[in-house]
Amino acid sequence: MNRKNLLAPNNNYLQMKNSIKKWQNSSLYSGILLLVMAGCVSSCKKYLDVVPDNVSTIDNVFKLRVEAEKYLFTCYSYLPKNGDGWYNAALTAADEIWYPQNDQTHWHPAFRIALGQQTAANPYFNEWQGNLKGNNGTYNYLEIWNAVRNCNILLENIQDMSKVPDITPAERSRWIGEGLFLKAYYHYYMLRMYGPIPIINKNIPVDAELASSYVKRAPVDECVNAISGWLDSAAVLLPERIINQNTELGRVTKPIALAVKARLLVMAASPLFNGNPDYANFKDKDGVALFNPVVDENKWVKARDAAKAAVESAEMNGFFLYKYTNDVYGLSDTTKKQLNIRNAVTQRWGPECVWGLAQSYFVNENLCMPPTERGTNSNHDQLRGVFAPPMKMVKLFYTSNGVPIEEDKTLSFNNYEQLKTATVADRFNIEPGFVTARINFDREPRFYADLGFDGGIWYMKDGNASGSDAGTFYLKAKNSQSAGFGNFQNWSETGYFIKKLVSWESTTRGTSAPVWRQYPWPEVRLADLYLLYAEAENEVTGGSALAISYLDKIRERAGLKGVVASWTDYSNNPSKYTSKAGLRAIIHRERTIEMMFEGQRLWDLKRWKEAADELNKVISGWSILGSTDNSYYKERFIYSQQFIAPRDYFWPIGNYDTRRNPGLVENPGW
Amino acid sequence: MKKTPALKNSVKRLIVPTLLLCLSFNVFSQQNEIVVTGKVSSDSAVLQFATIQLKGDSKRAVNTDQSGNYTLKVPASGTLVFSMVGYEQQEVPINGRSTVNVLMKSANNTLSDVVIVGFGGTQKKASAVSSITTVNVKDLKGPTANLTNTLAGRIPGMISFQRSGEPGLGTDNSAFYIRGLSTFGTGKQDPLILIDGVESSTTDLARLQPDDISDFSVLKDAAAASVYGARGANGVVLVNTRTGKDGPAKFYFRVENRVSTNTKNFRLADNITYMTLANEAALTRSPLAIQPYSQNKIEHTRAGDDPYLYPNNNWIKQLIKKHTVNQSYNMNITGGTSRARYFIAATYNQDNGVLKVDPVNNFNSNIKLKNYSIRTNINLNLTNTTEMIIRMYGQFDDYNGPVGGGTKTFNNALWSNQVMFPAVYPQSKLPYIEHPLFGSAQTVNAGGLTSTLYMNPYAEMVKGYTVYKTSNIQPQIELKQNLNFITPGLNFRTMGYLRRYSYYSVDRSYNPFYYSAVIDPTTMNYSLQALNDGGPTSLGTTGTEYLGYAESGKIVDSRFWLEGSMAYNHTFDKHTVGGSLIAVVSNYETGNAGSVTASLPQRNQTFSGRFTYGYDNRYLAEFDFGYNGTERFAKNKRFGFFPSAGIGYRISNEKFFAPLRKIIDDLKFRATYGLVGNDQIGNINDRFFYLSNVNLNDATFGTSFGRNDGVSTYYRNGVSISRYANDDITWEQSRSLNLGMDLKMFRDFTLTVDVYKQWRSRILQPKSSIESAAGFAAIPSSNYGKAETQGIDLAANYQHSFSKDAWINLRGTFTYATSKVKVTDEIKYQAGIAYLSKVSHSISQAWGLVAERLFIDQKEVANSPVQYGDNTLLGGDIKYKDVSGDGVINDDDMVPLGNPQQPEIIYGFGTSVGFKRFDFSFYFQGSARSSFFINPSNIQPFYLNAGYQNNLLQVIADNHWSEDNRNMYALWPRLSTGRVNPNNVNSSWWMRNGDFLRLKSVDMGYTIPNIKALRLKGTRVYLSATNLFMISSFKLWDVEMGGNGLNYPVQSVYSLGAQLNF
Repeated sequence: MNRKNLLAPNNNYLQMKNSIKKWQNSSLYSGILLLVMAGCVSSCKKYLDVVPDNVSTIDNVFKLRVEAEKYLFTCYSYLPKNGDGWYNAALTAADEIWYPQNDQTHWHPAFRIALGQQTAANPYFNEWQGNLKGNNGTYNYLEIWNAVRNCNILLENIQDMSKVPDITPAERSRWIGEGLFLKAYYHYYMLRMYGPIPIINKNIPVDAELASSYVKRAPVDECVNAISGWLDSAAVLLPERIINQNTELGRVTKPIALAVKARLLVMAASPLFNGNPDYANFKDKDGVALFNPVVDENKWVKARDAAKAAVESAEMNGFFLYKYTNDVYGLSDTTKKQLNIRNAVTQRWGPECVWGLAQSYFVNENLCMPPTERGTNSNHDQLRGVFAPPMKMVKLFYTSNGVPIEEDKTLSFNNYEQLKTATVADRFNIEPGFVTARINFDREPRFYADLGFDGGIWYMKDGNASGSDAGTFYLKAKNSQSAGFGNFQNWSETGYFIKKLVSWESTTRGTSAPVWRQYPWPEVRLADLYLLYAEAENEVTGGSALAISYLDKIRERAGLKGVVASWTDYSNNPSKYTSKAGLRAIIHRERTIEMMFEGQRLWDLKRWKEAADELNKVISGWSILGSTDNSYYKERFIYSQQFIAPRDYFWPIGNYDTRRNPGLVENPGW
Repeated sequence: MKKTPALKNSVKRLIVPTLLLCLSFNVFSQQNEIVVTGKVSSDSAVLQFATIQLKGDSKRAVNTDQSGNYTLKVPASGTLVFSMVGYEQQEVPINGRSTVNVLMKSANNTLSDVVIVGFGGTQKKASAVSSITTVNVKDLKGPTANLTNTLAGRIPGMISFQRSGEPGLGTDNSAFYIRGLSTFGTGKQDPLILIDGVESSTTDLARLQPDDISDFSVLKDAAAASVYGARGANGVVLVNTRTGKDGPAKFYFRVENRVSTNTKNFRLADNITYMTLANEAALTRSPLAIQPYSQNKIEHTRAGDDPYLYPNNNWIKQLIKKHTVNQSYNMNITGGTSRARYFIAATYNQDNGVLKVDPVNNFNSNIKLKNYSIRTNINLNLTNTTEMIIRMYGQFDDYNGPVGGGTKTFNNALWSNQVMFPAVYPQSKLPYIEHPLFGSAQTVNAGGLTSTLYMNPYAEMVKGYTVYKTSNIQPQIELKQNLNFITPGLNFRTMGYLRRYSYYSVDRSYNPFYYSAVIDPTTMNYSLQALNDGGPTSLGTTGTEYLGYAESGKIVDSRFWLEGSMAYNHTFDKHTVGGSLIAVVSNYETGNAGSVTASLPQRNQTFSGRFTYGYDNRYLAEFDFGYNGTERFAKNKRFGFFPSAGIGYRISNEKFFAPLRKIIDDLKFRATYGLVGNDQIGNINDRFFYLSNVNLNDATFGTSFGRNDGVSTYYRNGVSISRYANDDITWEQSRSLNLGMDLKMFRDFTLTVDVYKQWRSRILQPKSSIESAAGFAAIPSSNYGKAETQGIDLAANYQHSFSKDAWINLRGTFTYATSKVKVTDEIKYQAGIAYLSKVSHSISQAWGLVAERLFIDQKEVANSPVQYGDNTLLGGDIKYKDVSGDGVINDDDMVPLGNPQQPEIIYGFGTSVGFKRFDFSFYFQGSARSSFFINPSNIQPFYLNAGYQNNLLQVIADNHWSEDNRNMYALWPRLSTGRVNPNNVNSSWWMRNGDFLRLKSVDMGYTIPNIKALRLKGTRVYLSATNLFMISSFKLWDVEMGGNGLNYPVQSVYSLGAQLNF
């Protein structure tokens, strides 16, 4: 090695020394940062653990009564909001209420069913999927199957004694009863719409394989048995009546469970479900028949017994037919009779209201009532009056003699369009001196209690300063008149309005916005149970005097004579009530009139298998564009309804679900 | 294990450096050795880290210090090779000199030989194997204040389109997707944007000034993006801003004045036609209908009688200006010393809208968007080997505009009646009133007056204004430590930033007072009647003279990021080795999340690496990985590992290639394959998939009981479940293969081609195949969606200088990206309707009915399948094909229609030429293979919806089905005043071709000779324009807007600007 070679390493050594010094300086910065980074890496797992432990999950619900109660209320919250046209298909899917024909934007999806536009591709008022119903017809929540799932979760947890330790045994059993009732009711609701349905007694697990999660529709009899079994179990656990009315009215009781059971069994005995030949070949994909092929008369016996039990239980717990008493306004008998009828529905928690829906007060009073004469509010956005009963409903009401207009041998309605001037004698029904059509004269009290029309009196507590029924509200409904056609989107398509559903205590007179006296929707009225009992009794014993006695209770309250007297004296078919078929027709019509606009007719027409006749008729009304007596009082064709039987008797389940579940058969015709 | 000699050397050198150096001295000591010193500089600064190497001996190499000086002992007869990234390599013979100073020339296209690979790294383009497009920043300059609008057609591999031209917060941004839309999940679909390493939004990119950008690159394949594993699945856009250069302060100033105008306005029919056809529309559906317009009114309007009694508006003319003028100013200063360098930039842009302003108001309701930004980038050499970079960036938007935005004004122009009221009555009619006398009238429906007033679009536009402000503050610190003293080529780098963003918006507006004219029949004069003065007959909202106030959205969010990387790059003989390891933590929080879970921080943790190896610049290999963690998934699914690998072959460096080298200068083939992840899946409020989400106080499920008379009822909220827990949810994953070729020929021509295929899997999807009877409140989701994309990106460039004074540049790009859904959330469609399945169609494919033609008459309607249950259809309504054959027309008859909604092809081409001091360039941009649908309900004439009544487009007036013109193929079906819903369904009737070719930009400039006295050098004045004209088969509106034709239109802009340097 020469010297150069020896020097080189020295140089190199010096350089290295320098470097190390530099490194010592600069590494200070990077060293700190390296430490920071190392720290991050070591706390790696914690860094990504951003969720605190006490985020709420389903386990938290059944730890304490106060949270579990919310779950019970959740199960209640799915109860159909029948006091709201957006949620009650039966109000507008049949022929009781018609909408302004030109204003499609505000049509309820259910109304499109009345127009014959139902499809399997995207069913209107689709409860199976929870779709196309609700506000504006677009809401997608409160799905019935989800409700059933929640009821099962409630039952599983509340029946587990280790859960909700701070609840009393009595309350626990009541909650179980309520859970069972609600589960039964949701199944009943689906059965009524869809026919045979799957029975969801146990929930499908969240992580189930797709194939094992597919459900099958059970035969009608199985469905009915399961539901009535749950109702029986519920009835023994439920209280007879609500003691603490301030906080619990609206929760289910034994009479309610028995009433629903009566409805269920009457429906199961009715021709649609009982040995319906149209569905004799309706089978699921494994070949199991979904309907019983021959009529089973014994079902009527069961139905009658259930209806009897429901009536007795309701009466025993203090329910009776409502009558307007304690009058302080000096009202005429005519008006009092009307209030008997109106208040039976609109009185909050009235004596007749076996089951009032606490979670669904009637919210469509503004759709029923138009601006009135003598009232100062002419605002069609506040008094919309768009719920229009078609002429066929108007014709259904009895004459003042208590018999159908086509049967009355003393009063002729052949020229029902004929103009007639109201006299002072008519003053509590029609404004004196007003010219209106024959059909609006000489009708039963329920006609005037239920309907508003051109010239018709519309009694309200605030109809004048004193509250008396003299010189009170009446309607002018011709073109450009206060209740007539002319608003952008609010008018009655037929010229008739629904007075029955408007509480007489609502204030509508002033110029400010009306204050509606809303009331819990009377889901079950005692009158309804009487009619069910009469119907079932007649099916068991044709022309039964017992059946007639229950009809007469209702007729008496409506200001009419009994069936026997009325038919004998005024009908051109005086012995009609003596036969099973004759009395059946009388019961059906009585039920239609008494329960009109209460969301029963659609289901009744279906179970009686009368929908194919009734819903294939013409919808008509007055010529609402007319502004004179002569031009207005001409019956005007509005729409020709089409009901395709047997297809339209049941809702389509819809492609959405039948395409998902290979085992789910669609209803025939869809 | 056999080691290559070089590797053996390096190992030895690391262990026994002294001994090795001794050996090398031995080898060269026989020659005449001298010590050469010198300085390396560019025309503006001394250059640090330039490499000086003895030619033929890679071991004899040094770097310049921070003053640009070097010292190297070399043979006196040798040749020195000077090289530095971004500069042309120079070879200088020593010829016995002891001082060799070199002036480096910056490479013609600075970035042609280096690519940015992220996390502060660069790679020589020649040795890159992944698919990275480097964009020439000059190409991104254009007469627009929105950078995203210059991208379309410029970047191979980017699908981009602009749907609206409205200045505002994101409203005029172009949408862009790297290699098209490649996922159909509800999470992130657009690329990750990193500006100086800062995760940024599209609007951040939009506000960036091209003057401030030093490089802009797009990472497209897995190998490039896998180090960004957490977010890289949809590609990465990397932008770096400029850094200072040492030397005296240099000023740059650019000022631009722009005239902006709508590329196209929709054309409305004249009002006589409007009224005539409105009458026709009423009568043609219902012969007894009341005609909305009397003959008397039509005649008076035709005669041009009093415009207040017989209003005759043209809303487009009355609301929209022909053009607007905008300004933008951009300046920067750069300079520094060898120890500290700075780049300071400031920008002010003003974008005005094309809306008119009412002189009666003392406020301006036109759109005025001002944005300011200031940027300082400071580089400090703390020691000889340590560099610290401090960047501060602030960006601020000040917006003023009409309430509801500019698009609403354009919508209103088409959605309001032109003949029922004037915009505003003359103030002289009611001189004592100070507020504007806006016109309106009660709407008329089916012959009857309603209580709703007509919407007056003019009043709506001028009644108030919205103000929004945003601030974005980003301090950033970066530290680079050269660790050459440990081993040459080793570097450590760390960077951290904070980003605080805020936004708020307020509306101030009055409720307009409306008036209508009441005619005195004797004098035929009119007086004004107030419609909404609050009196007994007042209709609608009562007017106010004072401004009301409303607050809208507020956003406050914060992001923190810290990254560190260790990199090693070295060349031993023919072996080039590189590697880097990167660690990142990031945290994002928002101050108005709305729920506990949404408010919890969003976090990522990344550990990633890149390893490259090259042999003789011929054989190249690369391995990358990302190991990424996210807070969203269950503990065992939180981390995803995303590796990728690539190889390259530079065939042009092979010996056998020599004969071809006269023609082909460079030819490289590349291939990469790998995985990238995406954790931004699903809805952001739904990100903790492993937890169930329960609301124990949900009022939707609340119920009350009790008498409710005098005492309130007993109410309890309900319980709702919005998510079932799922521990298995994990990363969405993209696996991709990229094959590329880089070619350089004839010295002037380059071509880059990439073909690729990407398999996207684990796309989060709900399992909606579960039937309803299962009763789930929320449909469970899982990672089962799959999609495939493939395509080709192509870029070609030709650059030639004919002489010192004349040059030409031709360039073009072509992007084709097509996608296919493979597995998606859908049911098994049975035979006969299998066409409903989304599988094997493009992700943006649309389905619709097949429209055959219009019905001839009602008889044909009666004999055809019922369409959507509507039995009121007539001749002249659209007749659809019953594809499913079930005898009814419904959604089951929808087939895939036309091309995808997003274009599959985006291309561009253009030329720049220069002669002496003049330069001129133009660029065309095109889009192909896309379809869009006109939304017929938006333009259906005469339809009255509360106060809105649709206007009449000229094309509909000219070409619709009528009793007199029973054209079964007319543009518009039978007129109607109400909705005819079956006509409005998505169908081939309304489908249009979205293809277009537009002259995207033209630019001409003149560079003024240096003016010594003013210290001006390189001053350039220019004229430029964008969106000059377009070729397209669609004429109603600017086709690039697709179905959103009633939005604020895309703008044509002409600008005059000057760039000054001193």
